Amino acid sequence: MTEEARSDTPFGLIVPERMGSAVLGIAAELGGMGVLAAQLVRRMLPPKIDRYELTRNLYKMGNKSVGIVASTALFVGGIVVIQAAPLVVRFSATAIIGWAAGFAMLREVAPLLIALMFSGRVGANNTAELGTMVVTDQLDALRALAIDPLSYLILPRVIAMITMLFALNIVGDLTAIIGAIISANALLDVDFSLFMDSFLEMIDAWDFMQSVIKSIGFGLMISITSCYFGLTVKGGAPGVGRAVNSAVVAAAIGVFVMDYFSTYILK
Amino acid sequence: MILLRNVSLRLKGAWVLRNVSLEVPPNNVFALIGPGASGKSVLFKVMTGLLKPDRGEVFIDGQSIAGLNDVEMAPIRAKIGMLFQNYALFDHMTVYENIAFPLRRLFNLPEEQIEQIVAERLQRVSLPGFQDRYPPQLSGGQKKRVGIARATAQRAPIVLYDEPTAGLDPVNSQKIYDLVRDEQRAQGTCAVVISSDVGGLLTVADHVAMLHRGELLFAGTTAHAQRSGIAAVNQFVHGLTEGPL
Repeated sequence: MTEEARSDTPFGLIVPERMGSAVLGIAAELGGMGVLAAQLVRRMLPPKIDRYELTRNLYKMGNKSVGIVASTALFVGGIVVIQAAPLVVRFSATAIIGWAAGFAMLREVAPLLIALMFSGRVGANNTAELGTMVVTDQLDALRALAIDPLSYLILPRVIAMITMLFALNIVGDLTAIIGAIISANALLDVDFSLFMDSFLEMIDAWDFMQSVIKSIGFGLMISITSCYFGLTVKGGAPGVGRAVNSAVVAAAIGVFVMDYFSTYILK
Repeated sequence: MILLRNVSLRLKGAWVLRNVSLEVPPNNVFALIGPGASGKSVLFKVMTGLLKPDRGEVFIDGQSIAGLNDVEMAPIRAKIGMLFQNYALFDHMTVYENIAFPLRRLFNLPEEQIEQIVAERLQRVSLPGFQDRYPPQLSGGQKKRVGIARATAQRAPIVLYDEPTAGLDPVNSQKIYDLVRDEQRAQGTCAVVISSDVGGLLTVADHVAMLHRGELLFAGTTAHAQRSGIAAVNQFVHGLTEGPL
């Protein structure tokens, strides 16, 4: 609606009108992401993936994120133990600190925080890169060379992001547990064997699988949002900045919503 | 070579091309001129099928491209090389990979032959030794040259150049025009060039077409354009401040 038309709106209807406009905008974005996802599924039948692009993105998105994910997870593991320490000491329950830390990290904290880190680093970078390609006609150049940008450019990125968030989540889980072990030993004087006894006894494969399943879902969410906002950039360089902001916000909201429902379903 | 018949196109509710009929002959440098926002770049995208006209037909090498999807357009696009206004070089690829890209994707050439073609193209655009650099490491003029090397690498019979001298100084602009002309002569292609720098472009163009507000005002030889009786064409070609534009 134009500013001129907006000024004609009766005062009492301004708020409902803006709310309606926002809902329509969100619906349009969700619809656009759905269409993009459907187009990518269509291009998977049969899959024609550029191996060089896939390898390049796997390296760029995965290898270069290992350090930041591992260091984050190491401290997260330690923080979980620091938060739990007063209660554990009060109830003389140091023997179950391995279970408590492992349960919290595998089921919730590690996949969620690693996904948010991944979205901030890889997703934002992906949106900026695709947005820059759009505003500098690089996507039109691909089409002019008879190359489908979705097959050549987007599909390898989506696959790389899902694969690498899955792999980084495993790395993060392991590192977070190491962080918890170090912290439990330093703060609660819980030795390695005591920590691992309760961890191995009370944590089962399903706890680990929940972490893995969530990471795959989060990877899909981050990849679709970051690619969608990158591909729909408008307005030159400032538009790229806005798209990165929108992609990070949308991915974070999407990850939390997905986490809520997946936790409920997988509980 | 390229034939447009009554082409009209609407973008965001406004007509940006109105009933344009134009024939671009083979083996020549064809200048497409006009003031800003006259529809030149849009017409380029229509010629390559990147934009579909709302009305009218486009023929490339005798074949209508109306209604063709991207897959069906592939063999036609293999006949067209294109230099984009923003260079459109792939930032994550080296100069070598950028020039080799259409050769690898469109033709099943052995790597040795691709290496030879890339080396020859770089020599041709006076950038030997630049193959390992990335586009962000190049100046504007160097990017244009790499763009020209990529647009001409596949030896396409039609090459479209969108503002090949935008942002360049007069000396480098003339060098680019000379390069476009030399390439056209060497390969016998149909080179279509958009430029706002009419003075430089007309030194190498054989034919000229002028667009204004989406309408074709003039199409003919460069000599005819320079003595056109159409006031707007005369004003634009000679860079006059007085006139209808």
